[in-house]
Amino acid sequence: MEEPTSQDELGASFRQARKEFWFMIGTWVVFAAWTTGFNWLFASGRDGESVHIIFGIPSWVVLGVVVPWILALSLTIWFAMRFMKDTDLGEEAGTGEAE
Amino acid sequence: MTALISFAIYLGVVFLLAFFANRVGKSKSFLSEYFLGSKSIGLWAFAFTYAATAASGGSFMGFPSLIYTHGWVLAWWIAGYMVVPMIALGLLAKRLNQVGRIAGAITIPELLRRRFDSSLVGNVATLLVVFFMFFFLMAQFKAGAQIMATLLEGVDVYQRIVVALESATTGIPWIGAADGDYLLCLIVFAVSVIVYTTFGGFRAVVWTDVMQGVVMGIGVIIMLALVWKQVGGFESATRQLDEMTPPRFVTVELTRTGETGKEIRLPRGEWLALEEGGVVRLKSSATIASGEDRVGGVEALELTTPSEIERMKQLVDPDLEVVARPAGEVETYAYGDGRKGVYVHAPGPSQENPAGFLGVMLALSFFAFWNFSGAGQPSYMVRQMAFRDTVTLRRSMVMVAFYFGMIYFPLVLIFTCARVLLPGMEIHPDRIMPEMAAVLTENAGVPWLAGLLVAAPFAAVMSSVDSFLLLVSSGVVRDVYQESINPRASEKQVKRLSYWVTVVVGILGVLAVLHPPQFLQNLIVFASAGLGACFLMPMIFALYWPRTTAGGMVAGMIGGGTVILILYLVGRIVNGKFGEYLLLGLHPFVWSVFVSTSLILFFSRRGKPVSPELRKRFFGSA
Repeated sequence: MEEPTSQDELGASFRQARKEFWFMIGTWVVFAAWTTGFNWLFASGRDGESVHIIFGIPSWVVLGVVVPWILALSLTIWFAMRFMKDTDLGEEAGTGEAE
Repeated sequence: MTALISFAIYLGVVFLLAFFANRVGKSKSFLSEYFLGSKSIGLWAFAFTYAATAASGGSFMGFPSLIYTHGWVLAWWIAGYMVVPMIALGLLAKRLNQVGRIAGAITIPELLRRRFDSSLVGNVATLLVVFFMFFFLMAQFKAGAQIMATLLEGVDVYQRIVVALESATTGIPWIGAADGDYLLCLIVFAVSVIVYTTFGGFRAVVWTDVMQGVVMGIGVIIMLALVWKQVGGFESATRQLDEMTPPRFVTVELTRTGETGKEIRLPRGEWLALEEGGVVRLKSSATIASGEDRVGGVEALELTTPSEIERMKQLVDPDLEVVARPAGEVETYAYGDGRKGVYVHAPGPSQENPAGFLGVMLALSFFAFWNFSGAGQPSYMVRQMAFRDTVTLRRSMVMVAFYFGMIYFPLVLIFTCARVLLPGMEIHPDRIMPEMAAVLTENAGVPWLAGLLVAAPFAAVMSSVDSFLLLVSSGVVRDVYQESINPRASEKQVKRLSYWVTVVVGILGVLAVLHPPQFLQNLIVFASAGLGACFLMPMIFALYWPRTTAGGMVAGMIGGGTVILILYLVGRIVNGKFGEYLLLGLHPFVWSVFVSTSLILFFSRRGKPVSPELRKRFFGSA
């Protein structure tokens, strides 16, 4: 998105939040491409073929859903504990309600 | 009965939590406490309130029924949840919380109103929240009443109350035409939720969410263990699934094989032998009157998998002097009929779609839908305004990631196995969850556990209803009454009005679902797509693009919502039933994102830029 405001004017916390935002979008693209691509190639339209089983479940589910799920979980942990930075969210402004 | 007692204990604990929440919140300022728990929600509460609200009635009623009907392809359908904790929770949360604090806002429309200093933006947002949220409420009320009806079926006192209620309501317009058992369950469910929500406010909702989240998690783990044991291991279940072919919907004529004498009543779900071999299960009850020797036009489900037919023949009552014979049209699956392996591969069998249940474009749409529609739900947004600090947010993300992994994938395992354990449930797939709970616990010799297992979906429904109730009532009290009608209202007035609005909205919800729409999951997807369409892109732009204008916001919200309405309307016309129209194979939500984004960009670039003060306030040195 184009920024009409110069970077200096923007708060550091806003810039950090925006960086995290784009990281999340990138993550979505990678995992969407993996599951959609893999399952399209290896799971679709194979009725009639004998199912290949790993750990009691169809092998395409293991490689196209379970494995990326475990990786996504690991990445989420890394993102939350390392990449994401703590920010002072500020004090609550008056809510305008009668106290 | 034991199941009912454990369920009653569960409900008792919920009320106790509301009572304590009310006591804790007494010392705090009313509005912020009632609608947002004084913005002091900590780690466990934030993680679970988020997870429990996300796992609504759809996850525990609609999702299992889809797994049962279409098989392993649902693992792909739900795969988007692998990144939901990061994206739906992280995409907006930090900025939303920060901007909410700067604006001093309690509700989403209020936040938008102050971010753009525009009443129009606030009013449009309020209108859209209340409109789409009401469909959500309807769906959840229906789900809650259905679960209760399953649990209470066969309880003597309950049956007597149902009869009494039916006779009492006969003749009352609208109400009198509803089924007695459904009406009773709906009333009991609605009263419970309305009372504890009104009494305890947001804090009670969050606390009960925590408990409900724990119940859901434990419920799934117990079911997984029971199902694994009873099905003889997952490999055995998958192999059996690989051999299965979809059932057929048939019309049969039932003929008496014994003497013509007394009346024979056959309940819905009864298994009958077909004269030419095979078995059918009745979709509705049927009666062969005394003196008659046959009855025709009975709808039934015919199994087509040889091993299942042999197994289910054992369930045909040998004393029943009735055989069935096909008489009329046979309705087969549009995709998958007579084809082995459809339950273990994509696209999965489908009754309506000749291309199968899940095409690649639709799968991609759902991967987007779970994440971005999730991020765009106002019910999650208000929770993101309520956490205490960013440490809470980061840790919650990790907890929710573990929690979703623990819930969603095991559900696929459990309900693919349900196909093996309980054939013929296509006659009423929405009831597969409570039915499985009953069968699994009975086989394991622990029937009391069924109460707790059924409490899991019930908990999911309750925790969603309560937050929707609060969202709708906060929209009315804060955004309409306090903003436009009486800005100087005293705390006492606001308090009284908040209670009453919560009650009235609840009652309206009950009245609206007395004659519920048939497709629960469709209704839920429609409401979440509508809300996501109205709020996702506008909120992203409001939080991350300083240049966004009030005009762009209004155009984006209305444009996104309109796309959903139009594509559902087209779907209704084209398919003849309530459901979406997949333009170029993509879900309406994806189209709404395109339209909403384009409109915001177009109007914001053309409109007058926002004032430097507003820009500095929300993007400057915060």
